[in-house]
Amino acid sequence: MGFSTDFKTMDAQAIHEDAQMRKDAGWRYVQMLAVNNDDSADVIYSYMRDGLLENLVVEALPRDAHLPSITDVYLEAFVCENEIHDLFGITFDGLAIDFLGNFYRVSTEVPMTIISPEKLAEREKQRKLEEKKAQAAAAKAAKEAGEAPAEAASDISGAKPGEPLIDEEMEAKLASMPPEKAAKVRAAMEAKAKKQAQDGEDA
Amino acid sequence: MGKSTVIPFGPQHPVLPEPLHLDLVVQDETVIDVLPQIGFVHRGLEKLVETRDYNQFIFVAERICGICAMGHSLGYAETVEELMGIEVPTRAEYLRVIWHELSRIHSHLLWLGLAADAFGFESMFMHCWRLRERILDIFEKTTGGRVILSVVRVGGVARDIEDSELAAICSVLDGIKSEYKEITDTLLTDMSVKNRTVGVGTLTHEQAVDLSMVGPFARASNVSYDVRSFGRGAYGALSDFQPIVDAQGDCYARVKVRCLEVLQSIQIIQELAGKIPQGDIAVKVKGNPDPGARAANVLEQPRGECYYYAQGNGTKFLERMRMRTPTSQNLAGMVEALKGCDLADVNMVILTIDPCISCTER
Amino acid sequence: MGSFHLGAMTLRSLFKKPETLCYPAQTKTPYAGQKGHIVNDVAGCILCAKCQKTCPCHCITVDKAARTWTIQPYMCVQCGSCVAACPTHCLSMDPSPTSIATQKSEVVCAVPEKDKDADADAEKAAS
Repeated sequence: MGFSTDFKTMDAQAIHEDAQMRKDAGWRYVQMLAVNNDDSADVIYSYMRDGLLENLVVEALPRDAHLPSITDVYLEAFVCENEIHDLFGITFDGLAIDFLGNFYRVSTEVPMTIISPEKLAEREKQRKLEEKKAQAAAAKAAKEAGEAPAEAASDISGAKPGEPLIDEEMEAKLASMPPEKAAKVRAAMEAKAKKQAQDGEDA
Repeated sequence: MGKSTVIPFGPQHPVLPEPLHLDLVVQDETVIDVLPQIGFVHRGLEKLVETRDYNQFIFVAERICGICAMGHSLGYAETVEELMGIEVPTRAEYLRVIWHELSRIHSHLLWLGLAADAFGFESMFMHCWRLRERILDIFEKTTGGRVILSVVRVGGVARDIEDSELAAICSVLDGIKSEYKEITDTLLTDMSVKNRTVGVGTLTHEQAVDLSMVGPFARASNVSYDVRSFGRGAYGALSDFQPIVDAQGDCYARVKVRCLEVLQSIQIIQELAGKIPQGDIAVKVKGNPDPGARAANVLEQPRGECYYYAQGNGTKFLERMRMRTPTSQNLAGMVEALKGCDLADVNMVILTIDPCISCTER
Repeated sequence: MGSFHLGAMTLRSLFKKPETLCYPAQTKTPYAGQKGHIVNDVAGCILCAKCQKTCPCHCITVDKAARTWTIQPYMCVQCGSCVAACPTHCLSMDPSPTSIATQKSEVVCAVPEKDKDADADAEKAAS
């Protein structure tokens, strides 16, 4: 008996019907989980039969969503449903054992929906990297289109002709260095770029 | 028939190693309904993926549970490897399974000691924990830690076990095996143990299937489901693997299944130690999980199947990490098993189910 | 009948050497690779801060300006990530655990000034 996993999307209306159908067909309930997005949440239902683990994703549910409970079909889902209610704020209608938000003793309301400052910082970093990447790609495209290197350089801040790519890795490294060292490295790179440009002109 | 009374049980109770609260509805001396309640030790470890990158989170995953520490780090690493498409060297897979099976022996011995203590069998408790100490000693020698091993890394393992060391482990296990057989012979044939466990807290096969039960609890009700039988990783190299099942579904069956599983684990370790190939123990991991990539995985922990889910977002931090532990799946079954039992048997039933609450709440 | 087996086992234990140690009069010699505490051999340290970045519990602080390497041993979880990440192998895991104390303390290592070129070379070799 082999093991395989599968991800499928499912409509929110079909949750209960699907659970009933699977119960009749001999599927085993595995788990439920929620994933927090910026202003919505995904809920994933997992079932298993004969080594096939199927994960059904119900996408983009609003913060105050109401979902039908599957505890009348699979009683053991009460743990996960209460947990999702307490941590994500999604309500399950018809819960067999309903703790009414007292399942976990949490100090903050719906803690898993809070987007932490660390996460925001990481996103900002990622966005900057992507911008840099896009700029570098644009510069490359412009150069390939045969435009004068000087023009391309004026469009892109910090990118020098010849050696315009302070690539993303380098940038990430620079960000984590102490400022005095980063400045030194930047200066060295600029000097190198200048030299290369000069070499190019000489040739 | 007297009127029904509600008796609170736990979260602090001499028989409970972990904080579980039960509201027992009793009529005379019989439990007629049970309401389980957890949530005393929720630590929000899943949220920590936002501040610990995928390599660092392995040490958080280990700390979910003190007894299944090895299992959680292994399950987490396997899931992230699947998410990033990393091939783990075969030797690393073997080593992981050897440590994981050792931790199963240690978990079951710990449980057996606690169960013996609940029977009032002090000397057996001492003997079980004495044997468990030898397993912990193997851990200390091969990984550097007794409980938190910190030996699994994404992409492999951190330390190798020398062949001479493997042979030494096998001989230690031989020693444990002969003493362990004496202990289980005592436990499984003793009259007073039988009086307390046979026919108590019975869960039928139909109920166990109906409630999607996992682990030794389900296998004692004749549900032949064990994630190890999928033959993934080094389990595929075993010549024969059959889940240990019992048809009775009572406390005695659960004790028996766990007792036999220790012997099975010893056999698995000795077979794998003989077959382990030479080679690398880790591969270098580069890059980050793709945005929106998802991976799901299951692993057989000492208490049953554990589900892992990981989702990437393009950074070195995971978007979401989730573990669904075996006890969470078995809570509904525990309620069913408790219904109809004597008030005095409640602690016996709960112990043979071996709930791990801090795992469940994370 | 079972209890007789266990009785025999318990009786045997009477004549064997004890399984336990009289701690603290006797202590166990730690195994070679056991996790105790992190030691920095400052002679090899180049203050690259890789250990600081890889530490899951943020217990290492590297101050390049002051040339110090600081660890909080009571916050450290002995995972060994820093030892694996260290490019010059100056970090190592010592098998003896940090001793019990009434107050949490820090270990500050002053890293001596090194030959500029050697420092740069080492860093280059590491990256």
